[in-house]
Amino acid sequence: MADAKPSVILRLGSHSEKEYVAKTLRQFDGVMVGANLLQISPAATASLLLKLHRESERPYFVDPMTYAFGSYCDVETGKVRNDLDWIKSNQKVPSRKGVTERRFKGSYRKLADSFGPPFSDAIDRGIAISPADFPRNDVIDVAVQSVIAFQAERLRAVFREDPQTASFADDLPVPGVVFAPYFYVEPTRAQQWMQLNHRLASSATSQHKGIPVHVIVCGHLDLLTDEALSAIVIENLLECKPAGVWLWFSRFDERIATKDELLSLRSWVEQLSPSMPVFNMHGGFFSLALSKFGMAGTAHGVGYGEQKDVVPVIGQSTPTVQYYVRALHSKYSVPLIQRCFSRLRIKSPDDFFAKVCDCAICTHIMKSDLDEFSQFGEIHYSTPTSKRAAQTPAAARRCRYHFLLNRTEERNEIARASLAEIVTACNAAWETWPTVIRPFIEHLKLWSEVLSAT
Amino acid sequence: MTKFSKERQLRVPVARFAKRQGFCLQTVELPFYEYRIDLYGFSRKNDATVAIELKLSNWRKALVQAMLYQLCADLVYIAMPESSARRVDTSELEFCGVGLIGVRDSGRCTCMLAARTHEEVRQNYRQSQINYLKENANG
Repeated sequence: MADAKPSVILRLGSHSEKEYVAKTLRQFDGVMVGANLLQISPAATASLLLKLHRESERPYFVDPMTYAFGSYCDVETGKVRNDLDWIKSNQKVPSRKGVTERRFKGSYRKLADSFGPPFSDAIDRGIAISPADFPRNDVIDVAVQSVIAFQAERLRAVFREDPQTASFADDLPVPGVVFAPYFYVEPTRAQQWMQLNHRLASSATSQHKGIPVHVIVCGHLDLLTDEALSAIVIENLLECKPAGVWLWFSRFDERIATKDELLSLRSWVEQLSPSMPVFNMHGGFFSLALSKFGMAGTAHGVGYGEQKDVVPVIGQSTPTVQYYVRALHSKYSVPLIQRCFSRLRIKSPDDFFAKVCDCAICTHIMKSDLDEFSQFGEIHYSTPTSKRAAQTPAAARRCRYHFLLNRTEERNEIARASLAEIVTACNAAWETWPTVIRPFIEHLKLWSEVLSAT
Repeated sequence: MTKFSKERQLRVPVARFAKRQGFCLQTVELPFYEYRIDLYGFSRKNDATVAIELKLSNWRKALVQAMLYQLCADLVYIAMPESSARRVDTSELEFCGVGLIGVRDSGRCTCMLAARTHEEVRQNYRQSQINYLKENANG
């Protein structure tokens, strides 16, 4: 059985998160940015990545986000859409007061222009890329070259464009790996999308001999558990031999996944890891625990981003950043955790530090008063007209830093522990934590079963 | 079958019932972290607070929320249409100290299980809810 040390890559979702990444990146194994972020704020992103690299000496990765130009499943109706609507937004019409139009977001339009055809063609016609847009291998090769060149060269190009930074351009490191272009395998045309992704991956691995080429498998949740389709994707990957593979099954959340889904993920890892490093594009503790079966690591956001839908759900209110409980490997509301104190016999800060968390954030906040735990959940009315109270930015910040510190601990614990010890710890937490939280820790039992299944 | 199709339809009869029990200072949808307590009341006479979770049918979900509200209230109840309340496993509620109120279609409420006082209440939460009530509530 393989026993890789898991790595954790932080995903920078927006520049508002840069403080977290800057302060903790030395504890992690790299940082990933979406190509759309790089395109919407090129100078700021390039400067940030240079700074992060100098301070932490950790690699960076650019997710080319090419799937954004393909078909997607509408979250509400489940129907396949080719209208690229999810990369559009309502934008003001300059000359007409109060009038808005639904237009492509600037970041994606610029990204398509950088990639060139067929990405720019898709934006121009307003219809998603389909496999038919890659009729010949020369079209594939050109698209691959352009997408990889973007990842490898964009930062330096940004610096060269500005006379003030041009002399620093060569100081910028190249990304740790480059990703082949990839598209979401939507279920109605799974075979066609898989075939296209295979052609793109093969072109990337055969053409590019410099920076290691990794492949991203991005598909509907069904792809994870469909044995026949899985077998084809795995066979394709073994044939084109990328330097690494990243798995992303839309809406797969390891904390609410079924046993079948968890077992399937383990199976993918077991089949691929002898031939290449396997990463989960959006995962958490379970993915790290799969390092005992060969998983090389996982990426996630700073608070917390351990799962991601291909199409983000628009219009939801800002979610509360909840408190991460390391023993339970998930996040919970402050009152739910406080309600567990009596059964856990937590009566003082020292009890809390011994039984829940003694990270720098927790010890600072609860120096002498256990009730100060409430600071992780502080709420306020952000404006005089707000109808709902929301978490204060300070409370959200505490929760994020606490999570990031705990994540490094989890990674280190997994590296030290045997599989049996991880399973035992999951079972022990299930037994120890009280009834009130039981409906929310079912994942521990499932993980234990999946990790110990023979 | 019940005439109640929305939780908020239970609010008026339950609030009236709570008032009759002495919880004259009342507010609805009281924020408690990311939750909102459907009905919260204070009795000056008994120096006691009550939190009531309104639910149409899913009493297990209500019980989890009710247990959280014990952090800020001396007494916590789940209120449901009487037909749903009859199907609740009251031994679980009793074990947790959570009470149960049944609401008839007529609006008449019955205490089917009395809530117990408990040791989960945090004085800082309780006091801040009382202060809020004194400043904002009608009664």
